Amino acid sequence: MSSAASLNPRDRSRRVALLFLLPAAMVLALIYLGPMLFALKASFTAWVMTSPGSEDIYIGGENYTDILASREFWSAVRVTVIYALSSIVCGLTLGTTFALLLDAEFHFRSFFRSIMIIPMVITPSVIGIFWKLLYEEDSGVFNAVLTSLNLPKVSWLNLDMALPSIVAMDVWQTTPFFMLVIFAGLQAMDRSMVDAAKVDGATATQLFRYITLPHLVPYMLIATSFRAIAAMGDFDKIWLLTGGGPGARTTTITIFAYKTGFSAFDIGRTTAIAWIFVVIVLVASSPLLYRLFKNAMAER
Amino acid sequence: MQTGGPSMRKMAFTLLWIVIALLYLFPYTWMVLTAFRNPIDTLAKKFIFAPTLDGFRTIFIESQFQKYLINSILTATPTTVLVVCLAAPAAYSLAMLNKRSRVFLASVLIARMVPGVAILIPLYLAAAKAGLLDRRTTLVIVYSAFNLPFAVWLLRGFFREIPAELREAAIVDGCSEWQVFARVVLPLVTGGLVATSVFVFIGAWNEFLFALALTQSDAATSPLAVIGFRNEYGVQWGAIGAAAVMISTPVVAFAVIMQKYLVRGLTMGAVKG
Repeated sequence: MSSAASLNPRDRSRRVALLFLLPAAMVLALIYLGPMLFALKASFTAWVMTSPGSEDIYIGGENYTDILASREFWSAVRVTVIYALSSIVCGLTLGTTFALLLDAEFHFRSFFRSIMIIPMVITPSVIGIFWKLLYEEDSGVFNAVLTSLNLPKVSWLNLDMALPSIVAMDVWQTTPFFMLVIFAGLQAMDRSMVDAAKVDGATATQLFRYITLPHLVPYMLIATSFRAIAAMGDFDKIWLLTGGGPGARTTTITIFAYKTGFSAFDIGRTTAIAWIFVVIVLVASSPLLYRLFKNAMAER
Repeated sequence: MQTGGPSMRKMAFTLLWIVIALLYLFPYTWMVLTAFRNPIDTLAKKFIFAPTLDGFRTIFIESQFQKYLINSILTATPTTVLVVCLAAPAAYSLAMLNKRSRVFLASVLIARMVPGVAILIPLYLAAAKAGLLDRRTTLVIVYSAFNLPFAVWLLRGFFREIPAELREAAIVDGCSEWQVFARVVLPLVTGGLVATSVFVFIGAWNEFLFALALTQSDAATSPLAVIGFRNEYGVQWGAIGAAAVMISTPVVAFAVIMQKYLVRGLTMGAVKG
């Protein structure tokens, strides 16, 4: 008899359960846990790749205090927050509008729903490169449209406009995500309540304000949380459109960390930024983490 | 609005959607058109033009764009297979065997929230030390780990919809846990496997940051290739348009064809949590 069979059924199934989890756990440990621990160790050193031997010089929390005291870091935090917040507010508003319009009855509805998700899946680096063509000051398409309407040209990527411009690009790409999630929410709605309210003489505004909107709030919250986490980590689109510039106007934390790591080769500082960033994201996403975890634990 | 009756209303909404789609998808349409335009027509911002395949000729003959495309295919496909193979047993275990595996569930969730740039430097150093820079294998492993948390989460939702009695009945009939998983349960979550595969493939196909840091030329994927057409000699718009079309068409086609699965997966992953 094998040893597995000699165990009682409960222990046996627990052992099998762990075996099923093992391969995935090993890959996660290899790619996340190992590097994170390595980064933690490196963040307490004066390691700069261009000076050999510096990886063994321990400087305590100096990297952390330096970063937290630097203007560049806080500017990156500010840019990240503005970028994520404004992108979410616009994406959520536009996405909800689209979802409500999609919920009406019209011809070729599933066709329109299908093509509207295109921006969501286009390769972000392609978007970054291509929106540059649209934003170009003299030869760009957006300014050509403005000129043809007798409006003045806009310097889309200058000091003042660069941040709004990357937000606009991101909103364009992510609105379909909000649209899909909120549309799913609309589809899951109990229509009899709406009908009953209609019979009672509720106006369209009242219907939306008191029935539809409260029903959609959980969907909006979840979509917002996921977008917030993704937006904080955005890199490719911004990097290829503006490279973080002009100056540091569009340097988000991700771009700041990448620049520190791959142009200054300052490993100690970069790993410290990475850890600060992880803490920021985990703290910011803790309500979502908690909710997902609690729901999962309460199931069945 | 009621005066015209339901069919008028339907027509009005259809027209409205035509306008919305035209305006909203304009950047995408412009991109596709650019691929077939002469640079001179692009600069003149012409809508009507004599189409040319020069852009495609440039990327495939003058530059080695096909190499990048092949790298993308040979990175995204194994990643998708590997992620599904790793995530399916784990998700099954979380959904049916050990529903309260707190440690694993928490680590999957936390891993999902960790920004890529946070592990970039350690991975770069490790790959450099192990002589694994500029290898597709390295990208496949990293992409797999990166897509794993979401895949586990998504599949877990699909496995949860299968009644527990089914598994119990199969056990009584003498199946081992592995047989229950592979022969009984897995065929029932085909939709979930498709949804997960679509998401993972798109994620791996579109990835840029790790490809930028971990490859140079041999293993570079197509999202990196577009940069090459924007150099000190100016911007080759026809080439960029052609490359953009070649890179984005597979994922766009995938998303439109698999829309049903994509929507189901998204709402499951995003809304049910």
